[in-house]
Amino acid sequence: MSPSNIVFVLFVIAATGFFALNVQRLVGYMRIGLPDDRTDRPLSRLGNVLGIAIGQSKILREPVAGVMHAMIFWGFMVLTVGTIEFVLDGIFPGFSLAFLPTPIYRLYELSQDVFVLLVLAAIAFAFYRRLVLHPRRLEGDNLEHADALIILGMIGGLMVSYLVANGFLVALHPDAVAPEKFASHILGGVFAHVSPRTAHLGHDVSWWTHGLLVFGFLNYLPYSKHLHVATSIPNVYLSNTSGPWQKGVMKAMDLEAENAEQFGASDVNHLSWKNLLDGYSCTECGRCTAACPANITGKLLSPRKIVVNTRQRLMEKGPVVTGDRMEFTHPMLLHGEGAAGGAVTVAEILDERRLLDTFITEDELWACTSCRACVQECPVGIDQLEIINEMRRHLVLMESRFPPEVQPTFQSLERNGSPWAFSADDRAQWAEGLEVPTMAEMVERGEQPEILFWVGCMGSFDDRAKKIAVAVARILTAAGVKFAILGQEESCNGDPARRLGNEYLYQMLAKQNIATLDRYGVKTVLTSCPHCFHQIGNEYPQLGGNYDVVHHSTYIEKLLADERVPLGDGDRKSLRVVYHDSCYLGRYNDVYDAPRDTLKRSLPVITLLEAPRSRDRGLCCGAGGGRMFMEEKEGKRINIERTEELLATGADEIAVACPFCMTMMSDGLKAKESTVPVRDIAEVVAAQLSAQPRAGQRIS
Amino acid sequence: MANIFALAEQRGGELRKVALEAVTAARTLADATGGGEVHVLLVGAPGIGGKAVTLGAHGADVVHVCEHAAFVNANPEAAAALAAALLARLGARAGVFAASAEGRDLAPRVAAKLGVGFASDVTDFSVAGDAIHVRHPTHTGKVIATLALTGTPALFAVRPNVFAPVTNAKAGRVETIVPPADPAASRVVVKELRGGGKAKLDLSEAPVIVSGGRGLKAADNFKLVEDLAAAFGNAAVGATRAVTDDGWRPHSDQIGQTGRVVSPDLYVAVGISGAIQHLAGMRTARTIVAINKDKEAPIFKLADYGIVGDVFEIMPALIEAVRAARAQKH
Repeated sequence: MSPSNIVFVLFVIAATGFFALNVQRLVGYMRIGLPDDRTDRPLSRLGNVLGIAIGQSKILREPVAGVMHAMIFWGFMVLTVGTIEFVLDGIFPGFSLAFLPTPIYRLYELSQDVFVLLVLAAIAFAFYRRLVLHPRRLEGDNLEHADALIILGMIGGLMVSYLVANGFLVALHPDAVAPEKFASHILGGVFAHVSPRTAHLGHDVSWWTHGLLVFGFLNYLPYSKHLHVATSIPNVYLSNTSGPWQKGVMKAMDLEAENAEQFGASDVNHLSWKNLLDGYSCTECGRCTAACPANITGKLLSPRKIVVNTRQRLMEKGPVVTGDRMEFTHPMLLHGEGAAGGAVTVAEILDERRLLDTFITEDELWACTSCRACVQECPVGIDQLEIINEMRRHLVLMESRFPPEVQPTFQSLERNGSPWAFSADDRAQWAEGLEVPTMAEMVERGEQPEILFWVGCMGSFDDRAKKIAVAVARILTAAGVKFAILGQEESCNGDPARRLGNEYLYQMLAKQNIATLDRYGVKTVLTSCPHCFHQIGNEYPQLGGNYDVVHHSTYIEKLLADERVPLGDGDRKSLRVVYHDSCYLGRYNDVYDAPRDTLKRSLPVITLLEAPRSRDRGLCCGAGGGRMFMEEKEGKRINIERTEELLATGADEIAVACPFCMTMMSDGLKAKESTVPVRDIAEVVAAQLSAQPRAGQRIS
Repeated sequence: MANIFALAEQRGGELRKVALEAVTAARTLADATGGGEVHVLLVGAPGIGGKAVTLGAHGADVVHVCEHAAFVNANPEAAAALAAALLARLGARAGVFAASAEGRDLAPRVAAKLGVGFASDVTDFSVAGDAIHVRHPTHTGKVIATLALTGTPALFAVRPNVFAPVTNAKAGRVETIVPPADPAASRVVVKELRGGGKAKLDLSEAPVIVSGGRGLKAADNFKLVEDLAAAFGNAAVGATRAVTDDGWRPHSDQIGQTGRVVSPDLYVAVGISGAIQHLAGMRTARTIVAINKDKEAPIFKLADYGIVGDVFEIMPALIEAVRAARAQKH
């Protein structure tokens, strides 16, 4: 063994050892989080890894920056093979992958130079983007910029040192480098005139530089937001935010647990280990914040900040509670804002500081519309919304802290089973003259309906939304569907209470509804509100309510496809319609086509327009997450932002499939003094019906 | 022949309307139980004693005045101690409070000190043998409960705007009382009362509310709403969420789900279509008058009187009519 070989071996042992200590430290911090089982659905999770991580599907949603990142990422995948060969060659001089079948080995040799050049090009663009273009979503303090530039510099250095080392090797021994490494050979030509002594020195210096950078990079990661290099693939695997299973379902909560002392989260140890891994995986790309309707319209909330704050707090609390001895090594991530002006003391960390209030304010949490745009955009499967939801739960359940204007909503939900103080007796008033039977009446007649039409509080009490309920009833009648409603036995599904953090109130409402539905043996539920749809279909199973729930867009589309709806020649006027996606229908449940197809099938001459932000990028109307029942005092109003965007398409009409969106868009149109109408898709179809049912016609 | 106690609330050295309502209710009760004396407790900053005459004019036989600088703002702890001591000393049959923010704080303290029951938000009462029966709405007004108060003294708080003050030609006797303990030593100190803007009638107390919506087109046109409120004399100005969102009016003026919930005797909705958010805040008003150009507007389903037409034509005429009617009355 040569002395340099011994030095290299010792260096590798020291570097990997230090890295292992850091991994142990970070895993230790993560373990202060609550348990969360993510061992289910291994195949779907692998699918996510292939698509989202390896395939970079979410990264590529942004064309320019996406291609840049994908080049670096795929480059890393390919070049890691070369790095393994490089390290093994350093430990066992002369090691090479040449034992591989020749075509594969030659392809491998070619791939190394190709990707080194691609990565270099991408890094050059990354520097240009960060230093010259300054995209808004990359805004950050000097420390964050320095961190990014260090990483870019390191990756660039790795590429350059690789090329230079190989170039000098070509100059020394042209045959030692495979001809497929074309870039190395070109550089070798440049170095051809240097003396063998200089070439030797040049090779050794660049070889060692490369080696130092490989392990320097590895050990820099735990102190940097670029830890995502190591954590993002596992994070995508462990994430519940994408994929074929139910998304956006809030965590189940056992309120009866005898020794539970904490509900929701005010600090990192109340979050799950996965929420904390999310913190490690965030590389602060800002795609979430750039898509956040609250942030776009000037509110304090930034989903990126929520995740970064979670990591920052973990980095100060983790060392203290795990008794970790390595905290001296991570000054970069510690907040230097102790009460005395200097570093934060241990007592302050434990007793005075916490994630809520110290890092994340109440106003940020209440600004969230729960639209899931942040979660949808995140390329590494981070669930920003779960942290927000857990913190809202803490605010309401533990500290009774919520905007004062929410109080009447909570009170009415509790007393009246509706967010507004209207009497349950009036729930069926919208159906007067239509003779829609209630479940009780139908059961009394000894009949069972095909479907239960869950009208919802908007459809029952809001004058505008009542027209949607009427339209749905007319379509069902025309199609000969046997249906019933619950009438005064219906109550709010609980979504506003749950999203506002009042789990107690939510469970009270949900359990009552489940008891009612089960008493009638209901199997299929039709809703005209995406919030009822998501809640009853996806979240009631947590409380033992299992029903086949369908939103009216899907149901009506199916009726139209089966030609069960008698459409008249109707209005043959050409219409340009823009459809506004509901978050709880779209991003929560992947229903994007049914409402559009419903419009296309029912309107004879229609041009369907798309807003710049549509489908899974759709901008929220501003009413979700209980925001419907809160004041919006800061910044621009979200519904105005959205209305302006929809109007800019030049549409003759706006279509919605959610009564909350209906309210927000109607208000937006009024504020813009626009005469463009907004209709629910059910109203569009009902207006095209050929034979109107006679008043008082018996349904079923 | 039993003595009836009442507490008179003041703010800023002026009697509140609820004070006269409580005294009127106490007078009625005293007469119903055989013509006992009405003893009213009035606490406030030095000088408040001058208001005792008004209380006498509304039926108080004796006004117990306690002046102290620490009573300049509500001082529930010290006032409750005084009230409890006075109730005990008089051997009062009943004690009447106002179901205002201050009364809701104070009265339960008195009840706890005396170990008797207390009924809040009372809209009616009657004497039934040995018991006093009170009625109070529950479940957001869907149910009216009748409660029998059997203890002595029977304590209850009357809902503002229910018992109209009645003048009664009695000159009350004034007695000055000295607080048993230093009112400044209270554990609860109200340091400051901050209003939501300029001095005006509180929305929840106003018997008449004139409210404007987006139908008014521009912030400046709110002058019509203000003028109508001024013409009534006892009216406050309200607004819809759309209007406060647009900054035409302060958020504190908003009536609705996320604003104030009101139930005045008369509610005039000007250019308001009646979105559910707004209806949730005013549907319990006794009489609702709506003015809107769209006859399909949901507000008309709730309104007792509806005027379909242009608010800019109707409002000036209405303002004139109200002014004329009031001028004739005086």
